[in-house]
Amino acid sequence: MTMAPATLTRRGFLRSSGALSFALLSSGGISVLAASTEAQAFADGEVTAWVTITPDDRMTIKFGAAEMGQGVNTSLPMILAEELDADWSRVSVEQVSSDPEGVYGNPGFGGALFAAGSSSLEGYYTYLRRAGAQARQILIQTAAEAWNVAAEEVTTRQGILFHGPSGRSMRYGEVVALPRPQTSRPEGAESSLKPRDSWTLVGTDVERLDIPGKTRGEAVYSIDVDLPGMLYAVQLLSPVEGEHPTINSDAAARAVAGVVDVVPMDHAVAVLAETFTAAVAGRDALDVTWSRSSPFRLADSAEELAALSEAADDLSTDAIVWETRGDGPFDFREGKVVTAHYTTEHVYHAQMEPLNAVAAVDEDGRGAEVWLGTQSQSISIAVAAQVLGTTPDRIRFHAMQMGGSFGRRTVFARVLLRDALLLSRSAGRPVKLVWTREDDVKNAWLRPATVHRLDALLDDQGEVTALRHRIASPSIFEFAMPDRWDPETRRDQLVMEGSESSDYDFPAFRAEHVLLPRRSRLSAWRGIGWGPNCFARECFLDELAASAGSDPVSFRRRLLSKSPRALAVLDAAIEMSNFGTAPEGRAHGLAFAGYKATIATGVAEVSLDGNRLRVHRFWAAVDPGLVIHPQGYRAQVEGGVLFGLSSVLRERTTFTEGQIEQNNFYDYEPIRMSDVPEIEVRLLESGDPPSGGGEIGVPMTAPAVANAVRALTGTSPSHLPFPMGTA
Amino acid sequence: MMVNLNINGRGGEVDADPDTPLLWVLRDELKLKGTRYGCGAGMCGACTVHLDGEATFSCLVRLGEIEGSSITTIEGLSEDGDHAVQQAWIAEQVPQCGYCQSGQIMRAAALLARSPHPSRQEIVEEMSSNLCRCGTYPRIIRAIERAAREA
Repeated sequence: MTMAPATLTRRGFLRSSGALSFALLSSGGISVLAASTEAQAFADGEVTAWVTITPDDRMTIKFGAAEMGQGVNTSLPMILAEELDADWSRVSVEQVSSDPEGVYGNPGFGGALFAAGSSSLEGYYTYLRRAGAQARQILIQTAAEAWNVAAEEVTTRQGILFHGPSGRSMRYGEVVALPRPQTSRPEGAESSLKPRDSWTLVGTDVERLDIPGKTRGEAVYSIDVDLPGMLYAVQLLSPVEGEHPTINSDAAARAVAGVVDVVPMDHAVAVLAETFTAAVAGRDALDVTWSRSSPFRLADSAEELAALSEAADDLSTDAIVWETRGDGPFDFREGKVVTAHYTTEHVYHAQMEPLNAVAAVDEDGRGAEVWLGTQSQSISIAVAAQVLGTTPDRIRFHAMQMGGSFGRRTVFARVLLRDALLLSRSAGRPVKLVWTREDDVKNAWLRPATVHRLDALLDDQGEVTALRHRIASPSIFEFAMPDRWDPETRRDQLVMEGSESSDYDFPAFRAEHVLLPRRSRLSAWRGIGWGPNCFARECFLDELAASAGSDPVSFRRRLLSKSPRALAVLDAAIEMSNFGTAPEGRAHGLAFAGYKATIATGVAEVSLDGNRLRVHRFWAAVDPGLVIHPQGYRAQVEGGVLFGLSSVLRERTTFTEGQIEQNNFYDYEPIRMSDVPEIEVRLLESGDPPSGGGEIGVPMTAPAVANAVRALTGTSPSHLPFPMGTA
Repeated sequence: MMVNLNINGRGGEVDADPDTPLLWVLRDELKLKGTRYGCGAGMCGACTVHLDGEATFSCLVRLGEIEGSSITTIEGLSEDGDHAVQQAWIAEQVPQCGYCQSGQIMRAAALLARSPHPSRQEIVEEMSSNLCRCGTYPRIIRAIERAAREA
């Protein structure tokens, strides 16, 4: 793609071609470029920055959030198309690769192109509705001027404009051949949005637009990019973070047929070759010695778990208060106190497409064309510009479909993309840098281990009067987003969110973070903090219910009595599962959980055959406020439940002497079909706006399964993964 | 080394190191990119193709071992992308990220060719060779049952 020259327009979706636009002059002044009063057609059918229509009525709608499987390529354009009264059967979509004019970014992420944390629907919802309404108003004005009628008399339906009084009509494809309206600039005001009862597209189960191509092997991931003259790069990566290589001999590597060069880097030795297999063979033939100065040489996951447990239990350790409600006491010295501990181990994303990056640096070394599957085009472009010491306009960026992500592809660009650029610059050729699966596993950015200590005070009636949720963990945020980390407040939303328990009416509540230094590379993982935090809390609530002589349902119902939404998902899941009536030899467990504004209740039906855990069925009742694309949303919940179940059964990364011990899917094995339960999802809609669906399956699953095991055996597993995996 | 292969119904010779895994012959020599690299260890099935009609991990098969074989990849499963399994995949809206789906579809097609009306148990046993991290398994089961019904 080519980049537009740097232009400066008002932030927002209001930019539309053919109207006023401004250019930032090299002097720093602003020049009005095109204030023509002459009638102009829609250049290339571009109605606004978001929407292009061709004379045969085909419409292209852009979307800003990157597609990693979550279906934003369909759900986001649906929002815009609804307000535009588009004919969906003629719509195609286009992922945005860059945003030099600040039009396409997620308003919920400060205008960045960044897809993470189930934020796309929530962040873009109103913005895209207004963008659709604006485009519709432009079409209406255009037709009204052509017909010489009042715009208020023009209506739209399914890609056609109507003027009722005269009985005239015009297709959208005909409108774009007319002169642009000269009267005013529609702004897509919120007051112009369609009322919900007149929606015809949002809430329907249209087919995902990318699925036919994905059934034919046609989807193109960055690992598929092929360029003339392109070299493959494979790296011998530092076995321990922070070590540096000394090449003893690269003669054998260079002797491999197809190997072009061996390039020492700060943290790796790269082998460049004409084929991937030659690059791997060359790497395997390298003779390299590594420095032994990194403090991570001492990192050991078992020691970390022990240290976290100790810190969680040592109440004299300083803790960062994340959330507090009501008055304590929080010392839990008197009265009926219940205390329990829960642990989650390190886990790896295991996205199916191993990390890779493709870069072709320009001859002058100050610009590049880049192909990358990334959760953030904005971060990736900034990284590339920084690496080359250039400006973002010199980075011609292609955001590629991602072969899964789950948090793996947020800030990885600062490693993979940097290296691809450096290697392309030194080779003077395009380079595709590929990590093998083993590289991907061994250089994982993990969800850290967490240890939770929960204390609650019960009164004589068995009611909770105070609850403290204390979480020991290193900071994800500090490592993954160091430039946004506040060392004063040390508030880590990626670890602590989900611990607030805000739907529960505890008279006194505190969540606090005991922050320990990291011993591995860290990042968010599907479900983010909500996964571990809801696991600990929901298991604890079943413990409390038993201590109080109550049962899991009525105990929660009392505590959730002030949250009608929470009661609704609780009741729905109980009804769906006929809770508590599991067949002989099986038991039900439930968990109420959330992810930001989305809330859910999950029920698991399990059995144990000796030490082998089977989850037979899973029911999920989910309220995301509003559902844009129900079958796509269900797919996200199903996938999230299986992701959560996978972490229950056997996912675990361990490291010793700073090195991850797992290698590939044979010793880090995500869930397979043989362990998949029947899953039933019910969506409840409590109203605007929509909230995300990517994460919500995860937080409810582990505690529901643990509580079902408790119902079966009397003891709840308190450790992820459970000791009774299915391996 | 020259190796004779029939790929997607067309015969021809491939000139590559006989130790090269079939996966990389397909992807890099023949530019058939629909067959994916996931693990290189026969653990994920993203590279599944038909080798003389059988679902096979192409990452584990070396070029020198398959002289004269017939190979079908996702690109050659059907003329117009309308194999019963592909149609069922669309009807059940299976793919999410899509990366594993070529391999899933190839394995499902081989299963149905061998066993046109597989039991649920057969489906699960066969398809457990292939990983899907997005968790599309429930829809894969439904799509295979649909393809068996409608074929």
